[in-house]
Amino acid sequence: MALYNFKKIMVVPTAKDFIDITLSKTQRKTPTVVHKHYQIHRIRHFYMRKVKFTQQSYHDRLTQILTDFPKLDDIHPFYADLMNVLYDKDHYKLALGQINIAKNLIDNVAKDYVRLMKYGDSLYRCKQLKRAALGRMCTILKRQKSSLEYLEQVRQHLSRLPSIDPNTRTLLLCGYPNVGKSSFINKVTRADVDVQPYAFTTKSLFVGHMDYRYLRWQVVDTPGILDHPLEDRNTIEMQAITALAHLRAAVLYVMDVSEQCGHNLQQQLELFNSIRPLFANKPLIIVANKCDVKKISELSEEDQKIFADFTTEEILVVETSTLTEEGVMQVKTEACDRLLAHRVDTKMKGKKVHDVLNRLHLAMPSKRDEKPRPPFIPEGALIRKKAMEVDEPKRKLERDLEVELGDDYILDLQKYWDLMNEEEKNDRIPEVWQGHNIADYIDPEIMKKLELLEKEEELKERAGEYDSEEESEDEEMQEIRVLAKQIREKKFLKIVESKDKDIHGPRMPRTATKVERKKLEKEMGGLGLDMDNKDDSHYAEQARRSRSITKKRKREVSVVPTSKTRSQSASRLPRDQSGVRDPKMARMGRKMMKKSQKDMNRQGKKGEADRHVFDLKPKHLFSGKRTSGTHDYR
Amino acid sequence: MPQNEHIELHRKRHGYRLDHHEKKRKKESREAHARSHKARKLIGLKAKLYHKQRHSEKIQMKKTLKMHEQRKTKQKNDEKTPEGAVPAYLLDREGQSRAKVLSNMIKQKRKEKAGKWEVPLPKVRAQGETEVLKVIKTGKRQKKAWKRMVTKVCFVGDGFTRKPPKYERFIRPMGLRFKKAHVTHPELKATFCLPILGVKKNPSSPLYTALGVITKGTVVEVNVSELGLVTQGGKVIWGKYAQVTNNPENDGCINAVLLV
Repeated sequence: MALYNFKKIMVVPTAKDFIDITLSKTQRKTPTVVHKHYQIHRIRHFYMRKVKFTQQSYHDRLTQILTDFPKLDDIHPFYADLMNVLYDKDHYKLALGQINIAKNLIDNVAKDYVRLMKYGDSLYRCKQLKRAALGRMCTILKRQKSSLEYLEQVRQHLSRLPSIDPNTRTLLLCGYPNVGKSSFINKVTRADVDVQPYAFTTKSLFVGHMDYRYLRWQVVDTPGILDHPLEDRNTIEMQAITALAHLRAAVLYVMDVSEQCGHNLQQQLELFNSIRPLFANKPLIIVANKCDVKKISELSEEDQKIFADFTTEEILVVETSTLTEEGVMQVKTEACDRLLAHRVDTKMKGKKVHDVLNRLHLAMPSKRDEKPRPPFIPEGALIRKKAMEVDEPKRKLERDLEVELGDDYILDLQKYWDLMNEEEKNDRIPEVWQGHNIADYIDPEIMKKLELLEKEEELKERAGEYDSEEESEDEEMQEIRVLAKQIREKKFLKIVESKDKDIHGPRMPRTATKVERKKLEKEMGGLGLDMDNKDDSHYAEQARRSRSITKKRKREVSVVPTSKTRSQSASRLPRDQSGVRDPKMARMGRKMMKKSQKDMNRQGKKGEADRHVFDLKPKHLFSGKRTSGTHDYR
Repeated sequence: MPQNEHIELHRKRHGYRLDHHEKKRKKESREAHARSHKARKLIGLKAKLYHKQRHSEKIQMKKTLKMHEQRKTKQKNDEKTPEGAVPAYLLDREGQSRAKVLSNMIKQKRKEKAGKWEVPLPKVRAQGETEVLKVIKTGKRQKKAWKRMVTKVCFVGDGFTRKPPKYERFIRPMGLRFKKAHVTHPELKATFCLPILGVKKNPSSPLYTALGVITKGTVVEVNVSELGLVTQGGKVIWGKYAQVTNNPENDGCINAVLLV
């Protein structure tokens, strides 16, 4: 039962939009290029595809419309009746029928023209046939303009209907206009229904939800009903009648005791009698509203007799006032209780109950012996219960103290602490001590643990675990210890030294500064290395080599300074001349170099390691339809 | 107001935003700019469709403007001059001479004798045989070429049965056989879908008439009993001639004009 899918109906487009959408879709989704010189079967296929595609699009969309809209026979009779009242069942069915016919006609047109296209022997003929086919399909749809408009309006209204569940617990409010139904629902639920002094403020059904006894209840507010025969009723009243007829709910018939609604009690009674047949099998409560203005006891004899009649018929009458909220809760509880009882009754009479009842079994244990076994209630509970009943004075609460002291009251929880030494209660405890968080170390068992630990320590000491082992160390270890001590001292000194250094500017890493030869030799000598005769060591050579570059030479007129003599030292040969015996070998070397580079250069590579693969024909620039301007660049 | 019309309910209770009307007015006045931007920047098929639609809109606007303007100005009413009124300098001419009348009569009689009816399409393009009939190759080696297939729309009667396939020379495919035509009455301007009774004459060739080929300009006989026409004597007319006005093989349907 598609109850709440009313909101999921897809939009029904207007005829013009529908045609536009489908035709542009055909143009976009089917191939667009065909030439005269193609083979005839290809041309035929091209045009047949277009005809079939258009037919398919129309068919799909129309089928979707037909399936989305609810079938009046498939939904709950309450909704079926409501839709009949609001949208006219005949018109609705006719509109859907027209859409169905249009769908079949479009299918037939496509079939005929595809069959004709098989005999098309030229591009012109196939093209004309396709044009005729599409034109015919669009004309069929143009004729459905009014049906589509009507269905769109139905869809919009349908999706806005309040979501009333016909099967759950419901309270239904009915009565003359302006008696106070909407005020009642505003009081009992969170629904914000308009309440105005003119009649027919509520023009459609309204739903509110409330909770009672841990269950969800629906309260349905109806538009007012006037007293005339069924045929004369207008759409608004018919909605109320439909709700009354189909919802299995507790009915609250609201009457206006003060007659402010414009109808006297006799008329209200007549209305009640005329719609009485609709109340069959439903728990009924008469709500005598607006009792703050006039009570039943203040009424005239005949009017009071009306209410007396109700009571004799065993219909509950409750005096309420939505203004002062008197009696509203009573009505609510009474109605809910009665409805629950009624529902349980109906379920018991039904067939499904036995399935459940057959599976349930209440076990009553039989007595074993004559020993009495009453339920156990502890002493404290009994005392407290007695105290509650007798209403003894309780101990003084903090709250009472607070009230007494008023502004002077300070909350002091420390006075309830249970300490060994009572005077320490108000001492201030530090939070952090020596960098430790005191709260981490609080342990209620700490004294016991301390005692245990002390006992253990005593035992250990007696056993001799803490005697030092000096003899077990041999000479090696001692040497190592001495060295270690030295290292530690030196390290400490160095650290202090470096901290004392007065560095202006950023601290450079050790490797960035230049180490002088003298300093290096001195330090290494200090550590015990032999640093004499270190002239041909690598660091000395490096120093000499670099010095030859940085030192400025005196300019001599005879020597023409070339870049080669300046940039390279005389002792070193350039790479392409080192190891080369004669010019012949040099030439061969050059040839080999050029040969190995030839391939790379031809392919435009940067070097040996360049393995980049160029994408000269990217797919997105060379495929697809050529819409203007989108295939020239990425 | 129904329960779930939240926007309207909010408006009723709290009114509009403080700048709502101003914003609305400005948005509406910006519409002209948006429309012109669209008209300038659209390209391709969408542009064509849009311009076509806009053109028809503008024509309508111009017409209404003109109508409004006409109310304000006064114009010369051309319909006041009765038909047949002749200016003063032609008043003393005589009417048509009797000789002219007689020669017209003779011409008409000659035309009737020749059998030339007045038809809506007097001249029609002749269809050659290669256009109408397609050669079908048959035989074990597909060399025999004596069969022909009709490529145009044709009509075969009710009791038509094919000749044995071995002997039939002209093939009229079932897909191209039509039984109904859309016939327009020229005076009533109404179109009816009437069944065809037979092909009277195909202007291109008598062969086509015999085969029942329907092309543009063919005169066919249609069943007009639907229209309920009655002769002066009281007899019901149930067959009339109509001339085909479109190319049925290109449109998939036969459109004809009734010859009254």
